[in-house]
Order: sequence, then structure tokens, then C-alpha cells
Amino acid sequence: MSVSNLLENWAQFRHFHPIDDKPHDPYKWAMSIDLDACTGCNACSVACYAENNLPVVGKEKYQHGHGMHWMRIERYWDEGLGVAGGSDFPDHGAQFLPMMCQQCEAAPCETVCPAAATNHTADGLNSQIYNRCVGSRYCSANCPFKVRYFNWYDYPTTDNVWPAEMNQQLNPDVTVRSKGVMEKCTFCVQRLHAAKGTAKNEGRLVHDGDVQTACQQVCPTGAITFGNLVDHESKVHKQWQSQQVELDKDAQVKDQKEGGSGLRGYRIFEELRPYPSVMYLERVRESAI
Amino acid sequence: MHRLLRLSILLMGLSVAVSGYAADAPQPTLTTEDDLGPQVVQPIEFPHDRHAGLRNPGDPLKGGMEIDCMYCHTYARRSAVAGIPPLQKCIGCHQSIETVRNKPRIQELFKYWDAKKPVPWKKVHDLPDFVRFNHERHIKRFVEQQNRPTQEACGYCHGDVKQMTVARRSKALSMGWCANCHQKDHPVTAAGGTPVGNQAYWYGFQKPVADAAGGEYKAPDTNNIKAQGPNDCWQCHK
Repeated sequence: MSVSNLLENWAQFRHFHPIDDKPHDPYKWAMSIDLDACTGCNACSVACYAENNLPVVGKEKYQHGHGMHWMRIERYWDEGLGVAGGSDFPDHGAQFLPMMCQQCEAAPCETVCPAAATNHTADGLNSQIYNRCVGSRYCSANCPFKVRYFNWYDYPTTDNVWPAEMNQQLNPDVTVRSKGVMEKCTFCVQRLHAAKGTAKNEGRLVHDGDVQTACQQVCPTGAITFGNLVDHESKVHKQWQSQQVELDKDAQVKDQKEGGSGLRGYRIFEELRPYPSVMYLERVRESAI
Repeated sequence: MHRLLRLSILLMGLSVAVSGYAADAPQPTLTTEDDLGPQVVQPIEFPHDRHAGLRNPGDPLKGGMEIDCMYCHTYARRSAVAGIPPLQKCIGCHQSIETVRNKPRIQELFKYWDAKKPVPWKKVHDLPDFVRFNHERHIKRFVEQQNRPTQEACGYCHGDVKQMTVARRSKALSMGWCANCHQKDHPVTAAGGTPVGNQAYWYGFQKPVADAAGGEYKAPDTNNIKAQGPNDCWQCHK
């Protein structure tokens, strides 16, 4: 691929919204996360470690930024609240935000991969092909959400990970990644495939509720909803619709109302036009009331 | 002179390091001299030909018994992996076949049975860990929908096992080899494709394009490859 080819055919490389030439039919996997329900308990993160064979890298490597948590809980503090009120137990206004790959429709990571190791699938996922990856880490550099994680080591064989006999705990439906490849949340694609297989045997499409992601399954407060956005009966579609969040918009119509729409749905970095597939429901903050 | 010497030592060191790295990297044996997969030594030399081979009408003691593949590899029709039959399955028949009871291989089999230990069979068709292959899907299509004989359907990937004793891999089982069938049998057509929702799968780096008449779909011009990629790598890669 030469630079001249890139420039001449720019329109074919980069679409404003890829949905135009590859309509999602019959699946578009999407998620919505209710931040008001999220307690920051980290159960989703732990479930992800178990489901997707993520290495626990240990304190030292974690401090070097080598953590491999596909699903991480970001913490934000409402500083304004501070130690106001003179209470012995001041409210710092902790807020939690589960952050994982947003499975962007126009993913910034895809366009920069020199080896085409990350692609868009027909059902709207951003796929990562480990054995095609050459480890340039360009995708991670271009990811606005910083949700791609690089394997700096062959984790199962290095210290601090797991003893050899614990290989039995690995999920056989997910590869164990090796040193030098990039990885990220897959929306539990192995579960999606299993559900699609079952549905195909029964001659139907995947119904809402047939498939859960690992993080959704363990969430004690049910903050995470996952499903098929194309299916109008699905809970996730209904949530997106009720919050008036649309997939192929970089600024939602509801947000242009003066004084705000009063709806809680939003997507992170929408204005950068990656068209993320995850909608967050804003927390109802004490300071905002 | 000194500088030249230093450079040559550096170059030599580099080349040794590089070749050492290349030699260390485990390369899978794709084919052996006779164009088959590696010879796998099994704990018991299981004669596939005796079990699945064709009957010999002249001498029934010499020919095979035409047992269906899925009598023993029973999981193939209902799960992603074909599975190895439990020892119980072997014993189930063999406890009542007196004629071969004293053959060394059968005695070996009963040793495992008496010790209550499974036979440590070795895997012959071992796909890399990053491949998602579903036996059930293929059996459903070929055997249940198209009514093809089981041995033919299994044989597309496993070769003519009924003629083998210990099974050996006889197909490449590489990505190109898989895509070869899939491109031929699920072509991208004007109407869309075979899987649900008019989604066809293509394996090159660009969607195949129709010719001027709008009929035949061909692989696109490879000199002008775009970075869009195949439409779903995750279909087979995990």
C-alpha cells in the first residue's frame, strides 16, 4: 500500500460511517451501561479476567502500565464536593465508569493498523486477529479510549502469572495470547458464536437474552445491558431508543435542545466520530440536583 | 582496520542472533516427505481400517466393519469438537467379542479398563489454538441437510480414514486450504450470500467485485489492495 494509493483512494479507506456500505444485518452488537447502578465493585473486571484468559501481571508490572484489564473501572472524584459539610466522613463524590473497547463503528484503530490485524466484522464488532498482529502498537496510540493492551511478555510462562498446572483454568474458546500482540475486549465473541450456532441449529436468529457477556453476567446491580441493536425487541435497542441515542450520529439531536433534554444517555468521545457501540447512562449526581 | 574488524564482529553477532532466534521459533511441521501430517505414536495402534473399512464379502474376518464415524466420535454432530470416545465405548463392544479377546492390542485395552485409566490417545488433527472450527456445523450441513455419507463428509478434512490404521493427517488444514472450499461453495453473489441476513464471507482483503456484465464475482485487483480487510476474521479466528 503506497502513500499515493492511500491519497488517491482516501474515500474508500475512510468512510464517515461504515454502516453505509455494510449495513448491519441481522446483528449489531451493542451495550448500554447504567452508571447510576454501577457501584464500582470490579466484578465485571474479574469476570473478564476469568472468561478471556487475561494474565494477572502483578503489582510491579502494573505500575509500569502493563495491566491487561480489558474491562477496567475508571474512578472520578467530584472535587467540588470535597470535604464540605464538616462531616467526619466526607463525601468525595466517587464515580465509577466501566471502560472497555467501545467497538467503534468507524474505529480509529482499524485505519492505522499496518498489518490489517484489526478489522470490522459484519455484526459491528472491531475484531483483533492475534496471529496477524505484528505489535506496532499504532492502534493503541490511536485509540481515544486507551482500551487496547499490549502483551509485553509471554505471560503464562513468566513469573507472577499462574503456575503451569493452572493452565486447566483457561477458557479453551479463547486463545492465550503470546508476547508482542495487541489485545482488547471482544464483547465475548466466543459466546456470541456459541449463541449463533445454537440459533442456527434451531433455524432462527439469536433472541435477546440468549447471550450475555461475562461482565454483564456477573454485574450485581444489572448495570450492563448487552444485545442486538438491530432487533427492535431487544432491551438494549429499547434503552438506546428511550435515551434518543443514535448509532450513526456524532452529535445527538436530543443534546441540541436548550437547557438539556433531561435524558441520561451519552456516548464517550462522540464528537471524535468513532461512533462507539457503548452507551452510558449518566449518573444522577448529588451535586447536580 | 580496527573499525572494519569491529563492524564484522558486530555483523557476525547479529547474524548469529537472528538465525538463533529463527531456529528457536517452533515451526509446525506442515507436511512430511510422503505429504502427510506427522506420524503420531498412539498408546494402542488403533486400526481404523478394521472398524470403519469396507466389508470383505468373501472373508468377513479380513475386511472392515463399516462402523459409522460418529458411532465412536459421537460429539461431532452436537459440539464444536469431535471428541475421543471414552474407554467404555471400546469395552462395550469388545467385552462380547471373544474372537479377538486375546490379541495383544485388546489385552492392552483391557489393562487400561482394569486399571480404571483412560487411554492417553494423542491428538492427530490438532488445529492451532487461535482457530475456531465447529464440527457440528459441518456435519449438520453435509450429513443432515445434504444427506451425504458420513465417511465422505468427514473425509473432506480427515482424508480416507477407513483405509488407515493409526490415523494421520492427510490435508493441510491451513487457512488457505479452508478458504479454498468456502470461497468455492459460498461465493459472494449479486444477491448477497449464503449465510443468514445476506451476509457472505470473503477471505481476501477486499470484497470481490462483479464484472462488467454484473454476473461473475471475482477477487479484486490485488495491485490496488485497500485496508478494509475481510468482512469477518472472527468467524474462524479467536
